[in-house]
Amino acid sequence: MIQLSDVSRVYQRGADQVHALEHVSLEIPAGRFAALMGPSGSGKSTLLNILAGLDRPTSGQVVVAGQRLSDLGEDALAAFRARHVGFVFQFFNLIPVLSARENLELPLLLTRLGKAERRARAETALRVVGLEGRADHFPGQLSGGEQQRVAIARAVVSDPEIVVGDEPTGDLDAKNAEGVLELLRTLRREFGKTVVIVTHDVRAEKYVDEVHHLDKGVLIDPQAVRAAEAARR
Amino acid sequence: MTRFAPFILRNLGRNKLRTFLTGAAIALAIALVCLLRTMPAGLDSFLNGLAANTRISIHNQAGLVYPLPYSYLQKVRSVPGVVEAVSWTWFGGAFEPEKGVSFPNFAVDPEPLGRVYEDHRIDPAALDQFRRYRDGALVGRATLRAQGWKVGDLVTLQGTLYPVTLSFRIVGEIPRDQDPRFWFQREYLAQALLARGTSFDQLGMIWARVDDPDRVEGVMREIEALFRNSEAETACETEKSFFGNMFGSLRGFVTVILLVTAMVALCIVFIAANTASMAVRERVGEIAVLKAIGFRRRLVFGTLLAEATLLATVAGAAGALGSLGLTLLLRYQVSGWSPQLGPLGAFVVTNAILVEVLFLAFFIGIVSGWLPALGAARRSVTATLREVY
Repeated sequence: MIQLSDVSRVYQRGADQVHALEHVSLEIPAGRFAALMGPSGSGKSTLLNILAGLDRPTSGQVVVAGQRLSDLGEDALAAFRARHVGFVFQFFNLIPVLSARENLELPLLLTRLGKAERRARAETALRVVGLEGRADHFPGQLSGGEQQRVAIARAVVSDPEIVVGDEPTGDLDAKNAEGVLELLRTLRREFGKTVVIVTHDVRAEKYVDEVHHLDKGVLIDPQAVRAAEAARR
Repeated sequence: MTRFAPFILRNLGRNKLRTFLTGAAIALAIALVCLLRTMPAGLDSFLNGLAANTRISIHNQAGLVYPLPYSYLQKVRSVPGVVEAVSWTWFGGAFEPEKGVSFPNFAVDPEPLGRVYEDHRIDPAALDQFRRYRDGALVGRATLRAQGWKVGDLVTLQGTLYPVTLSFRIVGEIPRDQDPRFWFQREYLAQALLARGTSFDQLGMIWARVDDPDRVEGVMREIEALFRNSEAETACETEKSFFGNMFGSLRGFVTVILLVTAMVALCIVFIAANTASMAVRERVGEIAVLKAIGFRRRLVFGTLLAEATLLATVAGAAGALGSLGLTLLLRYQVSGWSPQLGPLGAFVVTNAILVEVLFLAFFIGIVSGWLPALGAARRSVTATLREVY
């Protein structure tokens, strides 16, 4: 369960204050696949960073996996992310000097698992994303779609409850984008993960359970969105 | 941290050329530091090898180039505590005149020589031959090696201070590996000069052996008092002090070199820090991702610092071992000798120096990696991801 109550985030940019989020309250139940959508600068990535424990709100409460994030210090927050959250980025962000398997073993180095167990888990995760034959390939030897699959495998290899993705399909062609969305839905359906993505990709609406729209840092009422879309048509 | 070792090694191999060049710079600097650190100890060892604690030199107070009357020798012998004394006069003979004087050669008194230089353990048979043959010469092993001579050889030296050319037969060696001296009979030079109508009643300096190390200071004071207010006042010093002064300028040079070495080490810190900064800067996005997936700041800092330290320490070890190999090679191979450089064989990289430079290399790694690693560890994940992607 992800709960945000009256969350605001204000950045200081020079002499100006930028209100990235204003009084956002949101609840995403466990085991749901949610998308945060909205125009550029609407605050969706800020919201994702806050619920993933990468950023802190200026005000408001964030509770994720039963943990109030404002109670956690920097190190505890890093430990929280390692244990509870898996990340998928737009540009895959794999470590280029490590093979696919070694990239997957990286988050497992933070656990107490032995070498054999780490390797076994990495291979299992690669099997889940259909890349068991590419374990020894380096990121530079993989296509964009394959790299994003490896990134998704890295996000789930330590078995977190939540997987977050910031524009996970943003750098992929249509076919690979559909494949990635399907894979994220599989994580929700077959492994019970809570998946939250930020996306501009309208195809995502077919795959997700719920969509939350933001505009200028404010969460928009779904009914208002639907009405606006109907009026546009 | 050991479970992160493969990750650290992979990162070091990321840009092999840069890693190699940085490592080579550190290795060379450490080898240089290592070699230069051998100089003070090497010089001491050289002086200790040369000097005896009961031998003193007596020379003109005005300087080594000014002679003393030959009659002083007998007066010195008569000072209580003096076991024996021998005169030395610089001949300045050149074996190959076009190359100049390539080893120190002196006219000495053959009779007292053995007693003054008892500690040299010169073969009594060689000393006997030296006394018997007026053209006999005793030659140090360093010069024998350098010139390719052996006992029994005939050699000719052309005087550069005296207008005579003398031929010698080598009747024995001065059995000390680094000894370059060439001694021949004073009488031989005196006769040659007399034949040219020149008298030879001066000497360059006197070496005297005192019966007890505790009496050395007193004997030196007494000798100086003996010649005070005479036509040539004398100055006395122990053998170690004499050679120490002779190489005094080298000691000053060593100090300068050690200062330069410290500056070289500092430069290497800056070079290594710059390399570490570049390595961190180009991986700033990856580092943000590591932090996002749960790497704590201390862990990020530790892995980056370990990377810089490992490189510096391994490169430093290579440099130190290289310099050790070089000095060992020199120790066994060096056959020449130059008074400006001293015997290179005395300059040895000791275990203490090895440990010292390994710590220095480790320190270079820590200092050079500290700031870049700290900066990367402190950088905000979200700000970095926004900037980079």
